[in-house]
Amino acid sequence: MIRYALTRLALLIVGLAVASAIIFLALRVLPGDIAQMIAGTQSTPEQVAALRDRLGLDQPLLAQYLEWIGGVLRGDLGTSLVTGTPVASELWQKAQVTVPLGALGLLIALAVAGPLGVVSALRRGRAGGTAIGVTAQALAAVPTVWAGMMLVVVFAVWLGWLPAQGFPRAGWSDPAAAFRSLLLPALTIGVVEGAMLLRFVRSATLQAVGQDYVRTAAATGLTRTKALIRHGLPNVGLSVVSVLGLQIAGIIVGAVVIEQLFALPGIGRMLVEDVGRRDLPKVQGELLALTGFVLIIGFVVDLVHRAIDPRQRESS
Amino acid sequence: MFRRTSLAAAALLAAAALTLTACAGPSSPVASTAGPADPDATVSVRLVLEPTNLDIRETSGAALDQILIDNVYQGLVSRTPQQEIVPALASDWTVSDDGLTYQFTLRDGVTFHDGQELTAQDVVWSLTQHRDTASWIDASTLAGVTGITADGQTITLTLAGPDSQLLWNLTGRAGVVLKEGDTVDYKTAANGTGPFTLDNWTQGASITLARSDSYWGEPAAAAEVAFEYIPDNQAALNAAQAGELDVVTGFDANLKDQIEANGDFALSIGASTDKGTLAFNQTSGPLADKRVRQAIRQAIDHDAIVEALGAGETLYGPIPSLDPGYEDLSDVAPYDPDAATQLLADAGAEDTELTLTIPNFYPTTIAQLLVSDLNAVGVTLTVNSVDFSTWLQDVYTNRDFDLSFVLHTEARDFQNWANPEYYFTYANPEVTDLYAQSRAATSDDEADSLLAEAARIVSEDAAADWLYNGASVAAVSTQVSGMPADNLNERLNVAELSKSAG
Repeated sequence: MIRYALTRLALLIVGLAVASAIIFLALRVLPGDIAQMIAGTQSTPEQVAALRDRLGLDQPLLAQYLEWIGGVLRGDLGTSLVTGTPVASELWQKAQVTVPLGALGLLIALAVAGPLGVVSALRRGRAGGTAIGVTAQALAAVPTVWAGMMLVVVFAVWLGWLPAQGFPRAGWSDPAAAFRSLLLPALTIGVVEGAMLLRFVRSATLQAVGQDYVRTAAATGLTRTKALIRHGLPNVGLSVVSVLGLQIAGIIVGAVVIEQLFALPGIGRMLVEDVGRRDLPKVQGELLALTGFVLIIGFVVDLVHRAIDPRQRESS
Repeated sequence: MFRRTSLAAAALLAAAALTLTACAGPSSPVASTAGPADPDATVSVRLVLEPTNLDIRETSGAALDQILIDNVYQGLVSRTPQQEIVPALASDWTVSDDGLTYQFTLRDGVTFHDGQELTAQDVVWSLTQHRDTASWIDASTLAGVTGITADGQTITLTLAGPDSQLLWNLTGRAGVVLKEGDTVDYKTAANGTGPFTLDNWTQGASITLARSDSYWGEPAAAAEVAFEYIPDNQAALNAAQAGELDVVTGFDANLKDQIEANGDFALSIGASTDKGTLAFNQTSGPLADKRVRQAIRQAIDHDAIVEALGAGETLYGPIPSLDPGYEDLSDVAPYDPDAATQLLADAGAEDTELTLTIPNFYPTTIAQLLVSDLNAVGVTLTVNSVDFSTWLQDVYTNRDFDLSFVLHTEARDFQNWANPEYYFTYANPEVTDLYAQSRAATSDDEADSLLAEAARIVSEDAAADWLYNGASVAAVSTQVSGMPADNLNERLNVAELSKSAG
């Protein structure tokens, strides 16, 4: 197990190193530059050149990369050339919106998908199961933007129960208000992600039903449902865990849309704005942090999987 | 000269298809049915484009001018939404007959938000610093000022030659008065003399101004004004309907019925200096031929564009109706597809293929209308939709384009037509000369008529086409009064904005 963990850790580090190079180079391919954005359209080419020089943008690429990565290794994600704020503190700020939003969305998704997925599998072929399956299929196809709009129209505009947009200025120092402002966006994530997750839970459950150990358990006198709950579901849970890693990455990507729709000051919206104004040092830091986050989640999921799944332990 | 307000204006522009053609001249603020104003109220205003940082000295972008000048920072003089020059920190001023000496009387008893007193020396320092620091925005507009001195409360500017634009320029960035030796971090904080202090900035979300209790003039009507930055139009509409916004600027006029349905909001349509500019790269290729450029202008149905946008008016020259030097130039390029076809035939350019480079935040309606209008006279138009950074590089910096569309929002930006180096690629020594003469004129009438003359030549040369003169569209709560109607993208003075308690 320790050997496996170390190998996996080495893989994580290599992954991060490769990602950093890709992020750095990919951003350099974008046309347009930050000096021109700051200087605006009344600037002369000389002014832009002077600004570029001051910002260190005319250094060779390798020098720029090494300086950036050196900073990262010292724990410094860099400073925005536009706003003058450190990337790390901005990320920390915005994460206070995006992370609770994603977590809440995921919780809602799990709460919906878990029970309903199992039920729809057990009721396969019957009206209830089919209804759940079809609904999930339809919901999974709903564009997030549209789902969000509908929720806003019903709960914010018609009923007036929840805010339609924004995050309280006081942030989490007013937890109730902060929570309320995240509820509709989280529900949007929850509905769409939940529908996708449901179909996964359903097929994993169906697979488990057909497994020998469930049939054996049933043969010892348990009902089919009880046999499944006692012996099958832990395995379903296991495969759901591995999908969750992907799901979290998906939620981060989805945050771009959700945060735009609900005008939430989160990581997704910040990224879009920073790319638009070519604040490359900031985008680099943000992307690296996000990539690191996703890779670490994958790492943890693998280790957990390994630790709790007896079959994998035997095969190593 | 549009800077990044073009983004904000993009949203305005999205105000499409409604029969709201009435937009001639300045309109009065929306009549309010509000009760007595609540002095403790917070008024929340949706804006489209957030400033990247708050440094009024070095960061370009009208998003900064929009909220900070007049409200937080002030100069000796200011301007109204109708573009009239009015006193601010100077109670009055005189200009010598030769136009070489400006004397301002500085008000007494003005303090900065941190409590420091405003002195005549602060004004001298600010203007001198602004003129001499090349990296400060609009530094070059003060280049002709040779002397900046103070005697008591009298500030005297002396010029090498007359400059009819000087007062105007002093109403903008170049004239902002800062405290000498101030240690404030200008990127994230502010220390001005205006009716509001900068209270809070949540990056990516909102900027809040709070009434300054030590303000020298009439105190602000509202205790707080919160600017909420919501780029998405639908999100803004939702927020307004949920009662979270009092004013929605950059409103989509398409949604008029929706917002006015329950009587909580009314639409305000004001004039603006936004010029939807179709630039022609005339350095080479078919567009170097004036007949081809003229043909394109005459092939475009400008009325149809204005109608599709739902607000605004047609514009056939470089100067909009709010600016000095405006005259109706519709006779220069009337809509006439047959004449256009003939001009193209004369120029031997019947099967011309051109590319339109357009930033992707503008509504697709514009590109679609252009494609079909030009197609009708035999010109094939390919649309190249790019993000603004790419536009800046390809079009603005590298001049790598055939046609380009951008909304130029800034007032009095005629100088770009007199500058052969500008991305418009238009060079006519006569225009450059007329503009210089206009700058050097000592009377407004003279300056304006020279500008008008230059503008007519620019239009007759088919230096570009002007698709429309935009409108300022805002949805204003019926609880709110004091909201300006005109030119909201450029400057938004919220000192009189108030909300009733009811």
